[in-house]
Order: sequence, then C-alpha cells, then structure tokens
Amino acid sequence: MTTRRAFLKTSVVAGAALVVGVTWDGELFAIDKPSAAFIPNGWIRIEPTGKTILTIGKSEMGQGVRTSLAMILADELDADWSGVELKQASPGPNFKRLGTGGSWSIGGSWTPLRNAAAAARTMLVDAAAARWGVDRATCTTSGGAVRHEASGRKLTYGELTANAAKLPVPDKPVLKAMSALTLVGTPQSRRDAQDIVIGNAGYGIDAHVPGMVYASIERGKKVKHLDSAAARRVTGVIDVVTVPSGVAIIGENTWAAMKGRHSLVVEWDDASTFNSDDHMKALQAAAAAKEKVTVTRSEGSIAETLTGIDATYEYPFNVHAPVEPMNCLASVRDGKCELWVPTQAPNRVQERVAAALGIKPDDVQVNVTLLGGGFGRRLNADYAVEAAQVARAVGKPVQVLWTRKDDMAHGHFHMAAVHKMWGAMEDGKPAAWRHTYATTYHNVNGPPEPEELKDLAAFYREISWGVFDIPYVIPAIETSFVDVETPSISIGPWRSVYAASSVFARESFIDELAHAAKRDPLEFRLSLLDGAKDVFKVGSLTIDRSRLRRVLKLAAEKSGWGTPLPEGRVRGLACNVYDGETHTAYVAEVSVPKTPQHGLGIVVHRIVAAIDCGVVVNPRGIAQQVESGAVWALSNLMNQITFANGRAQQTSYTDFPVLRMSDCPTVIETYLVPSHGEQPLGIGEPVVPPVIPAVLNAVFAATGKRIRRLPMRLDA
Amino acid sequence: MPSFSFTVNGRRRTVQADADTPLLWILRDTLGLRGTKYGCGVGICGACTVLEGKESVRSCQTTVTEAAGKTFTTIEGLSADGNHPCQRAWIDEDVSQCGYCQAGFIMETCALLARKPHPNDADIDQALDGHVCRCGTYSRMRRAVHRAAKTT
Repeated sequence: MTTRRAFLKTSVVAGAALVVGVTWDGELFAIDKPSAAFIPNGWIRIEPTGKTILTIGKSEMGQGVRTSLAMILADELDADWSGVELKQASPGPNFKRLGTGGSWSIGGSWTPLRNAAAAARTMLVDAAAARWGVDRATCTTSGGAVRHEASGRKLTYGELTANAAKLPVPDKPVLKAMSALTLVGTPQSRRDAQDIVIGNAGYGIDAHVPGMVYASIERGKKVKHLDSAAARRVTGVIDVVTVPSGVAIIGENTWAAMKGRHSLVVEWDDASTFNSDDHMKALQAAAAAKEKVTVTRSEGSIAETLTGIDATYEYPFNVHAPVEPMNCLASVRDGKCELWVPTQAPNRVQERVAAALGIKPDDVQVNVTLLGGGFGRRLNADYAVEAAQVARAVGKPVQVLWTRKDDMAHGHFHMAAVHKMWGAMEDGKPAAWRHTYATTYHNVNGPPEPEELKDLAAFYREISWGVFDIPYVIPAIETSFVDVETPSISIGPWRSVYAASSVFARESFIDELAHAAKRDPLEFRLSLLDGAKDVFKVGSLTIDRSRLRRVLKLAAEKSGWGTPLPEGRVRGLACNVYDGETHTAYVAEVSVPKTPQHGLGIVVHRIVAAIDCGVVVNPRGIAQQVESGAVWALSNLMNQITFANGRAQQTSYTDFPVLRMSDCPTVIETYLVPSHGEQPLGIGEPVVPPVIPAVLNAVFAATGKRIRRLPMRLDA
Repeated sequence: MPSFSFTVNGRRRTVQADADTPLLWILRDTLGLRGTKYGCGVGICGACTVLEGKESVRSCQTTVTEAAGKTFTTIEGLSADGNHPCQRAWIDEDVSQCGYCQAGFIMETCALLARKPHPNDADIDQALDGHVCRCGTYSRMRRAVHRAAKTT
C-alpha cells in the first residue's frame, strides 16, 4: 500500500507587523483502511455513506470563512454543496500553523484547498475509471458523483471510498479551469445561519463540560495587599486563587464568581504613569521633529523654495470590544490540557499554554469554538493562558469569563497615531508630498526580533500601509515613520492593522489639496493616477493605478457623483489599495443636521463601495463585509480609549459608544469589479480604511469644516 | 438557598439560587439555555434579551427573585423548528455575521412586532437602538424586521 506525503505550502504575506502566521501546512496522506472513510488529506473526509465532511482551518468570527472556504473545497471536489458538513480544525499533525488574520483567509487558502480537493477528486475519478475499465478522461464529476456519460453509468463518491483510499495521493493534481468552477462566484448564504437564529451556535462562552466551575479575575500586575475572606463568604464561591494575571474568584456559577469578586479586597503595585493626553503630545512632537525619523519612501527631491499646506491628523487609541468578551474553558489533568476557546490563533494558544504549564504542545488540545467577534483581539493567547493557569490551580475544568469592563480595561489596544502632512501645489497640481507618521507598533507579543530590525525602513513600511504606498503620481514624495513606544500599554492587531489612521490622513489631505486647487476630488484623484506607469512596486507592495482608476470610476458612476442631491446632502470620496492587494473606492452621501439627533451627530445616508478583490468567491459574503466595515469604521468617529495612570478610562458601551441601528447608513451598496485573475484577495480589512475619509470629506463639503482629529467633534 | 419557580419556553422550572442572581445566569449556567448571551451585564448591549410574556426584558437586569412566577421565552423556545417568521426573515436576508448578538435582536424584534405589527424604520430604530452589533448587521436587520412583519 502506498502512503505518500506531500506538503502544500503558501508563502507568508508579511513580517513582524502582521503577527499571525499565515504559512499553512496541509499534509496529504492516504489512509490504509479499505473499508473506512476516504480521507485523502486533512481537509476532506468522505464516508462510505457519501457523507462529506470538510475541515475549516480558519476561525469563524463573522467574516464567513466557514462558508467561503467550504465553497472552494466543495467546488474543486465537485461535492454536493447542500450536503457537505463542516468540521473545525484543531492544532495537530495536520494543522501546525492555524491562524486567522490579515484578511488572508481566502487568498492564502485558495491554492492549498483547491489542491487538496483536486487530489481527492482525481483519486475518486481514478477509482471509478478502474472499476468501469474506461479511460479516466471520459469520466466527469458533479454533485458528489463520478459519471461516465457514454454508458450512462454513475458512482457516488461514497461508493468509491474504499477504492479511492487505496490509490496514491497525487502530488500535483490538475485543478479545474477557472471557467469550470460552478460554486465559486455565486452568492451563497452562511452555513451557520440556521444555528445562529435558533440559539444553537457554539461560541466560547457556551462551552461546557461536566464538573466545570466558573471564574472571574481581578487583574493587576503585582499584588500589594490581598484580603479574600469576604469574597470566600459569598454564596457559591468555592475558592480564590492567585495566577500571574491576577486574583481569580472561583464560583459554582458565573454569578457567584462575579459577586465574589465584588467583595475581594486587593491593592495593586502597578506604577504606570501613562497618560493618553501626554502621549498624544509626544506623538505630535515626534511627528514635527526631524530626529529619529526613518524615511520609508523617497522619490524626487523636494525643493526648499516650495511653499505648501500643512495639516496634522490625530487618531486616538481604540479597543475592539467584541460583544462576546474574552473567555476560555480550560481543563488540566494528568499533565495534559484541553481548551475550548474562541481564538483566531489556535497554534499560538497551544504553544503559549504549553509554555505556561511547562508541558508539551502536543499535550494541549485546542478546540476552536465560534468567535463572537474577533477584529484582531483574539489573535493573542493571554486569555487562554490564564484560564489554563486557573484550571491547574483549581484542579477542575474552569471557564474564565471576562466582564465587559475587563475586556476594555485589559484590551490589546489599537494604537494612537499622529500624521503630519505637507503638500505643495504648482499650477493646480501637487508638486511635492510629505507625510510623517508617528505611532507605536504592536507590542503584545514582545519586542521585534533583532533580525526584523536590520532593515528599519522595511520594518516600518509594514506598519505604514496607507502612508508609503500612496498611489498618486506626485513629482516628489517623502514619507517617514517615527516610533513612540508605549511600554506600559498593550498594543495589538486591529481590523485593517495599521491602515485605518493612515488612510484617514492621506485621503483627507489629498481632498484638502483638491479643494485648495478648486478641483473636483474625483477628477483630481483620477488625474493623479495617470501619467506614469500603471503598475508600480513600492517596498514589498504592488499598486495598480489602472485598477484604482477603475474602482473610482465605478464608485462615481454608481453613486451618481456630480449629479444633484436633495437639499443638504453632499458626497465625499476616498480610495485605497490595501496591502498592495484589494483596490477600493468609496463614496459617502452625508448630511449634517444643525441639531445632532443620534450618537453619530451626522447622517450617513448612503455608502457606495466599488471593490476589486480579484477572484470573487462569495459575493454575498463580500457585501456583508462591506456593510460590516462601514459600521466598524463609523464607530471610530464616535469613540476612543483614553488612559490615566496607565488605566483605560472607558468601561462599557456607554462611555465607549459604538454605532447602533439609528445611526447606521440606510443604504450600503457593494459593486464588484467582475471576478478576474487567478487569485482571490482579502476583504474583511480592506473595507475599513476608506470609510472615514469618504465620510469626513463629505462633512467638509457640507460644512467647510475639516475634521482632522478623531473622535469627530463638529463643535470643536 | 431559596428556591424560585417560573416558566421558560413552556416548561415550569424550579431552581435554587442566590436571590440576586440575574436570570441570565440561571438560564445559561443552571438550565443550559446558552442561546441567551452575556455582553455587558449592565443592560446596555441587549445580547441577553428574552421575552417576558410578549415584552422584551434584559435577563442580566432581571433577578431570579423578580423572575419568580413569570413566563419567559428564550431564543431556543421561539419555534419548534426554527421557522418563526423572525428566524426565517433573518436567514432570508442573510443578516448574521458572527451571530453572537443576534438572539437578542431577534427577541427584541418579536416584542416590537407584538405591539406594532407593521413598524416603520423609525419604530425599528427606536426598538433596536438598545442593542449592539459590532459586526454591523443593522441595515440587513432593518430589512429582516420588515420581512418578518409581512409574514407574521
């Protein structure tokens, strides 16, 4: 019997800034059990009954991967789409680098999954052709069966499992032609939709095992004084244990743990003096100074004689605040650990928990649940590590649930940033552009490796998407980065990584220059995307100005750019190329009431998004992400996190308002450039950065007021 | 511990609990009805919304003492087969993304439609503004509420 192993690998997209590992090992191996299921690789299992189980290697947090990845597998396999079942991958021999981030789930999975499914399909066809004694080329596949049209014969995949399992797994299976894909590109509804609406979808918070207890943790760096006597007297409190992240109150149920925590007396020895007002001043000073500045792009020379326009854009700290707070159910027994955890980074959880407990990663079983929102916060393992530590201390399975306040206080915050912009105009055109960006990079996983810092400009470019990759043709461009660290504040990944603040600054300031030149913002942008090579490489990114022009024109056409609007309504525009991949253009239709009615203060009537994300896998999922990105970004017009003495001052959705129903744009339209090329690109993050500048450019058009600081204050 | 009796999804339940325990944790931890979610614990996110009779209540703000003698419906009890008009409308409009907050929105919509069978956009905004969805499914939810209203 042949057992062959092949490794399918896809390359890593980014360096240290994008902390999630996106290399993916999919191991192909045949199983020598003729009567059992056909399991050609880690992704596909077909039972003799025909039941087809597809493994999903990405975490579902609302972006629809459990649907779109299954579509890719099912299409290439020619499985019966309506009948496939899904299984969530756990770290193990088949899955060594599970991780969901960087808008790379579809792009990074596309080729490995198609190869895996094509290998399975090839084996099933070979098995059928051998049974029939016909040339395999005369066989076709569809709906979970191999057919021989000439003789009218058909064998279902289930009927072929025993034969197929005996065949070698092909190293380089032939993929279906793009034109032969029948499911990819069609609008599909979410596979989990039914479970969600009947309350049967299992999130981390819903995990449960017999004999489990519940914990709530009062967190701090170092205990100065602790008195747990009153907490222990609370009905239902079982124990109080100290773990590295704080003091855990263990209860028979969640309420007992929470209530016990209220009676805990603890003082912390944490000396941080960090203050966000001071930090914003430090960022402003750093962006204005010439010291410690690293140039990330320099083209042409900026003549000293030029006079230009200055503007400073400020972006505050923010926090993810997913509605499902951080949580993890952990059980530690006999030197082994099992976790049920809503995580974007299962292998990181496995490694960090193993390290914290001093056991082997193979002895940590990570069960990935659904995620009640991720947005980058769940790329880190802190909440799983502490749950494992509590479970070990208690000797029982324990669920650690963070309160909403915990989730905000101990966030892995989105960094604050200051962008100092300068542009010089000659004859109505920009002659020079200078963009200095001061911020903090992610520190939740420790400092960068020395290797990463060898080429400092390259390292900073990874943080500077939206800055150095400015797509416009300008004779002289200088972009630079200044690092202002926040050692006592955890800074972590965010939906759109670092691009939201940068694109806000760039697309607002280009609008400023258009208005300074008294030119239409659309015509101004289009003119700056012409007159040089369409495709150019900057740092490690590739920008295609022709694709950007196309989405701009599409957004303009669909939004009626330049046509009259009802009284009081205006339009604003922004565009972006995200990570050198997905090209987007947005038009927002806005009015600014004299008396703000809701939390947002303005009315966003309509958002029109034109998107070029290469191959379109699930257009319905893309439309949902466009809507999601708009709401996510608009929330950032309303909220911020501030710090005093090292502590976040916001505690819940009251002092950290998020967009609600009444402020949501009534119409959010998605227009896709027809599916093209061979590669799908990301969507969940690219749909965030253009929203704020499109809306604020409209606010300027309506009021003459340029918003350069978030959260938005119309009266400031 | 004192004992409390109430009706959930048509079934009489008696639980022993600390008198100030929120109904939310009775539902989730004691009765295993985990479709009702925790989001904020202070009644401002709506994830824990259930029906008391035909009205919506925040189960994190309703103690087991207050719940005694009353009749509740959770997302699990909305229909036997997942075919309640709100559930169908939610699926047909492809509302859910991560889905975590959706049970709360659906229960709130049931309460809205019970008191106002054909709500306009302003009614919907007012009814659902007490809920948070970080994935941003609001525009589809509006459509789903209208769709549910047509089929109720």
